[in-house]
Amino acid sequence: MGNTKALQIVYGDGTLGVTGPDCHYIFSYSRGGLESLVVSGKEWLYREPKPTFWRATTDNDRGNGFSRKSLQWLGADMFIDVAKIEVQIDERPITLPVAPINNQYGPEEFADRVQITYFYKTATVPATAVSVQYTVTATGQLRVQASYLGNADLPDLPVFGMRFVIPTLATGYEYAGLSGETYPDRLIGGKPGTYHVTGLPVTPYLVPQDCGMHMQTKWLKVIRNTTKNNADHSQVPFSLKFSQGGAPFAFSALPYTAEELENATHQEELPVPRRTVVSILGAVRSVGGIDSWGADVDPAYHIPADQDILFDFVIEGV
Amino acid sequence: MVQNNVSQADINWLDDPQVFRVNALPAHSDHAWYRSTNEIAANKSSYVQRLNGHCQFAYAKDPSQRVPDFYQADFDTRNWDDIQVPGLIEFAGYHKFHYINTLYPWEGHIFRRPAYTMAPTQNGAGQFSQAPDNPVGQYVKHFKLAAGLLDQTVRVRFEGVQTAMYVWLNGHFLGYAEDSFTPHEFDLTPYLTTEDNVLAVEVFNASTASFLEDQDMFRFFGIFRDVSLLAQPAAHLEDIHIQPQVATDFKGGTLTVDAKASGTLSGAKALIEVWDVSGKPIFETTTTLPAQGTLAQTTFKSIHLWDNLNAYLYHLQITVLGKGGQVLEVIPYDFGFRRIEINQDKVIILNNQRLIIKGVNRHEWNAASGRAITKADMRQDVATMRANNINAVRTCHYPDQLPWYDLCDQQGIYVMAENNLESHGTWQKLGAVEPSDNVPGSLPQWLDAVLDRAQNNYELLKNHTSILFWSLGNESYAGDDIAAMNAYYKKMDASRLVHYEGVFHRPDYKAKISDVESRMYATPAEIEAYLKDNPKKPFVLCEYMHSMGNSVGGIKAYMDLLDKYPMFQGGFIWDFIDQAIAVKDEVTGRTVLRYGGDFDDRPSDYEFSGDGLLFADRTEKPAMQEVRYYYGKY
Repeated sequence: MGNTKALQIVYGDGTLGVTGPDCHYIFSYSRGGLESLVVSGKEWLYREPKPTFWRATTDNDRGNGFSRKSLQWLGADMFIDVAKIEVQIDERPITLPVAPINNQYGPEEFADRVQITYFYKTATVPATAVSVQYTVTATGQLRVQASYLGNADLPDLPVFGMRFVIPTLATGYEYAGLSGETYPDRLIGGKPGTYHVTGLPVTPYLVPQDCGMHMQTKWLKVIRNTTKNNADHSQVPFSLKFSQGGAPFAFSALPYTAEELENATHQEELPVPRRTVVSILGAVRSVGGIDSWGADVDPAYHIPADQDILFDFVIEGV
Repeated sequence: MVQNNVSQADINWLDDPQVFRVNALPAHSDHAWYRSTNEIAANKSSYVQRLNGHCQFAYAKDPSQRVPDFYQADFDTRNWDDIQVPGLIEFAGYHKFHYINTLYPWEGHIFRRPAYTMAPTQNGAGQFSQAPDNPVGQYVKHFKLAAGLLDQTVRVRFEGVQTAMYVWLNGHFLGYAEDSFTPHEFDLTPYLTTEDNVLAVEVFNASTASFLEDQDMFRFFGIFRDVSLLAQPAAHLEDIHIQPQVATDFKGGTLTVDAKASGTLSGAKALIEVWDVSGKPIFETTTTLPAQGTLAQTTFKSIHLWDNLNAYLYHLQITVLGKGGQVLEVIPYDFGFRRIEINQDKVIILNNQRLIIKGVNRHEWNAASGRAITKADMRQDVATMRANNINAVRTCHYPDQLPWYDLCDQQGIYVMAENNLESHGTWQKLGAVEPSDNVPGSLPQWLDAVLDRAQNNYELLKNHTSILFWSLGNESYAGDDIAAMNAYYKKMDASRLVHYEGVFHRPDYKAKISDVESRMYATPAEIEAYLKDNPKKPFVLCEYMHSMGNSVGGIKAYMDLLDKYPMFQGGFIWDFIDQAIAVKDEVTGRTVLRYGGDFDDRPSDYEFSGDGLLFADRTEKPAMQEVRYYYGKY
């Protein structure tokens, strides 16, 4: 009887491989996340995407002590371990197919839906639970759902979402959302539309800090024309699209992580740009502006730690 | 005190707050004069000779190391360095850049208290004249008078020199001036030759004026604005005072033109003409020339009002004619009719409409030259304001270059014209209000210096339609001296309002200082609390929305107050452009922007100077779209 299912599964010894139409995913058991995301033969991941909590301190954050009060999230952003992994095939939970359990599978394994969930514990005191659920559907789309479990004993969050480090520099990106750099308390002036941005501009604030946020985004398409594959000599542009799930998301696309921005005191101290860092965020703390030496952001624009956050988005090649 | 007819320079003036102006000509209106209307059309007066450009220069790291006798006519300066005027000595590479906000630049290096703040006998002798931290720039410029200036009285005008300056011509002492941001003029006539003339200027980094010029900015010194020679014809209007007054019905208006004249006035006449914007003549009269008095007064039944939406300017031209009817000088000046007042509801109204200030604070800045900025910079700045619905500017915290006010007249930008005064280092200590050594305070020894600054600001700029507010200065606390500045403006000018924020800390002076309740960085809740509690004065935010780095979130909360409270009149965002300095990166060779502390300058306030809606290279920060939206909404 021939296979009619869309996805082929490789029950590896250290990873779960999923091949779909023009796409291939490798979920790692040991590295705590999605290790490979290939669309049309092009790799999109440098390291596994992880939940992200930190934004590089803005001048207002420094002035009102926010970064000091919330510094646990810096550690959580940099260091996070997976506590548990669960897999479902066609909506049926299976025992995590690590060796020798995977001996029961063979070379011809198929499904229409593969779901793997990583359960993390944050490196905070107290720790709280964060999970990231990846669902590969028959079309090859990857649906990502990230959830944060509220805990009243933790400080306000800077951001919550997923950070994707992409192996090479993007030539640019397109998105449907608001014009310019926007934050929850600075977005009314942003005009809705579809925008193309060339390169990965870092807003050149005197001291590098969080920048390049785009609120209320329906989709984001990241465009590259290089890979790190030594046998890939093509310069033809290719792209990956992030689309909203239940609600629009916020994102930034920069050549730096929050920590790289955090470390520099001048723009010229930032590393030579090599990679693309895309943060897809379900919650963003505002920037504020009353003054830069103490005034807090309006409480309506905080991310209180005691409330659950759940958001989702879809990744696909285009 | 103002001193005249002094023939010898005295370095001790640096230490004495009572000496700030020696032999300088009285402040006067900023009008230009030309030989003909053709010269006006060409924007070049043959009465003017620019002394900008190359200048010979010697730098002394302190007063004791100055070159003695350098001002003598026969002093040989051929081996001296070359420096560009206008320009700042730091940018020429002689002196370290230094950025610091509140603390005085000598903090941690030298202990100083302003003279007379600790005791009546504490006269400050030697604290600047013998100071190891007071570098000096000595400038020598040789010039030959241009044809258009021969055989007339000639003055030299310095439009901006920081901080204290002594001037000589051909070895003769001309005078001394402080107040870095207003023009200073000295009469050259007695000492001029038709051959080579030697102008010598000694510029000190610091004097008692430094206590009054503690603005939150990079601290510079040098001749940073234009230097010119100006010839006066046989009869000359030294000062003009254009007073357009809107009638109570806001339809008609009265124009009064007063003047002070110098020279041979017997038989001289003045022709006064006014055209509307289409070039249609609407008024003309001829009068004799009084030494001081009214040249013309007329009433117009129908006038166009000037405001931000329609910056309607009339064109005034005064032609001074000699005894034989020959044209001696032609003075063009554009003016508008507008009326600013506080109504019975304690609301500021402009032309009978509530005034909403959608403003910014603006320092003069160019990343490549500091506060020596160009006309192109100014044109770009005013265009940026128009493009982003910014309708008002506070000239923080000193008078700007003169073309800026012309641009604001032309583009309908409302100006809060601020005095060159900020002394927060004498009363803000580690975040606390601690005014034990505050100047000017109520000290009689500091009164004349600050009144002189008020007079320089007023006399120079009084004809600019765009100026709606005089501002007494910034963050200088309050006392009798600032109250006297307020009284000076009230006496001189009933047509504008007076602003000062610092009285917030001295409520006992509120009846004497400021027509408006001004605050800085008040939260929306604090503003609302004031407006709900029987407010005495309309409310203005002289500084708000601190645009440091990635900021300007939450502006809506302020804008919403405009809808709720007519007495809330808006405010000025802090500020327009980042103050950062363009340098070549020592590692990559790229041009990069540096801030306080990047030049081994200590102590410093580091990136705190980067608070602009523009980056230091004049590109807009992303927050500008939010400002454009909200400022466009009101």
